[in-house]
Amino acid sequence: MSESSPHRTLEFDLRGQICPSTLLTALREINRNAADLRSGQVALVFRTDHRDAVGTIPEAAAHMGHRTAVTRSDGCYRIMITGAGWAEPGEAA
Amino acid sequence: MSALPISPLAALAACEFALAAAAGAVMQRSSFCMAGAFRDLFLFRTARPLASVGLLVCLSAVLIQGARGLGLLPLYPFPLLGSPSWMTVGGGLLFGVGMVLAGGCVVGTLYQAGTGRPSAWWALAGLLLGSAAYAEWQPWLRALDQQTVLFAGARTLPQVLGVDPALLALPPALLGAAALWRRRPQLPPGSCPVAGAVAPWKAAAALAAVTAASMAATGVPLGVTTTYAKAVAALEALVAPAHAGAVAYFRMGPFGYVHPWSGLRLAGGPGPHWDGVSLLQVPVIAGIFLGAAASALSLGELRPRWRLPRAQAASALVGGVLMALGSRVGAGCNLWHVFGGLPVLATTSLLFTAGLFPGAWLGGKILVKSVMRP
Repeated sequence: MSESSPHRTLEFDLRGQICPSTLLTALREINRNAADLRSGQVALVFRTDHRDAVGTIPEAAAHMGHRTAVTRSDGCYRIMITGAGWAEPGEAA
Repeated sequence: MSALPISPLAALAACEFALAAAAGAVMQRSSFCMAGAFRDLFLFRTARPLASVGLLVCLSAVLIQGARGLGLLPLYPFPLLGSPSWMTVGGGLLFGVGMVLAGGCVVGTLYQAGTGRPSAWWALAGLLLGSAAYAEWQPWLRALDQQTVLFAGARTLPQVLGVDPALLALPPALLGAAALWRRRPQLPPGSCPVAGAVAPWKAAAALAAVTAASMAATGVPLGVTTTYAKAVAALEALVAPAHAGAVAYFRMGPFGYVHPWSGLRLAGGPGPHWDGVSLLQVPVIAGIFLGAAASALSLGELRPRWRLPRAQAASALVGGVLMALGSRVGAGCNLWHVFGGLPVLATTSLLFTAGLFPGAWLGGKILVKSVMRP
């Protein structure tokens, strides 16, 4: 990935939604952005209050070869999915 | 002998409330979801959530047979078990579709409402609407039910086969519990960021204990859906008293048995007044709701939310309607049948549960194609 390649974060606020919309939305967006995820051009972030999604989404993402980071704040969970090519600012991919 | 500090009825209600509150907290912390258990078998091709339900049923069967052996269940299996009919399967199917569209069964709806999820409130509204619809159609549906009875008078599989319940229920329950225990659903591997998480197998064990304790204390399994019919009856009596008085269903009193420990007769039905049904079910509804709310509050996750896509709100509403219809047609909800009836191999519960599978499959199809389309 070149230093000038843009990478962006797509955020989805799924708090309060019906079960299993969090997982279904995550699967849809992972598939929709599969190429960009793998190349590190995009990261997906899902905000959810569904406690079970914190387990099911990372598991599904791992099966597809992606990485997940989960943090908790303000009573809900932030699930970030990145591909192998994603680099945080200041670090190499 | 000194008098009890509280009346037997108050003690019964307090006991049900405490058990239900514990169940509500456990379900909130473990995200125990019966709707998801049946749904995910088809939608995500995973049996892991269903394994938790299976473990619950097997452990409940073992505990119930143990309680029966100790003389704690003199009314075994339990009163109010009817004869199975094809309508029971239909009720399970309707309920299965409904719980998937609602995003939770009647219990899941209650504990989700307790944590502030907006879809749960739409589902609760649907439960009331569905109960009102059933009340209008009840005479016709009851006639259809009576015409499609499969085994008159046979309430459990052991009765149909003429076998001691322990001999029939215990071996598969013990084998099932052992098999599911070895593969018990754990928390996700690695560090779990979910605050206060309870592993699914622990939740199943706790809920099995609650089920057995409730049956020992009251003589009947946990139940909630008749109370929604009572709420509708009360509302109709307020806004349209002449019409409410003409609805035959609200005048029925099918619920009646003598509580084994107090000797009190608990009787009632779907009518608008406080009765034996209210005594047993209102504490359960309040307990699950408040137990889940307290658990969520203690985790800092009690956040009432109001935004919901319109398609999902409609889905939850329709889901609630179908759950109400399914539970009335099927002579009980999934709480009654799966928690209480399956462990004793009640024929109605076996048929209702059989109907849940195609219902959950169909509900998942509708959810993906119509509700969750991009």
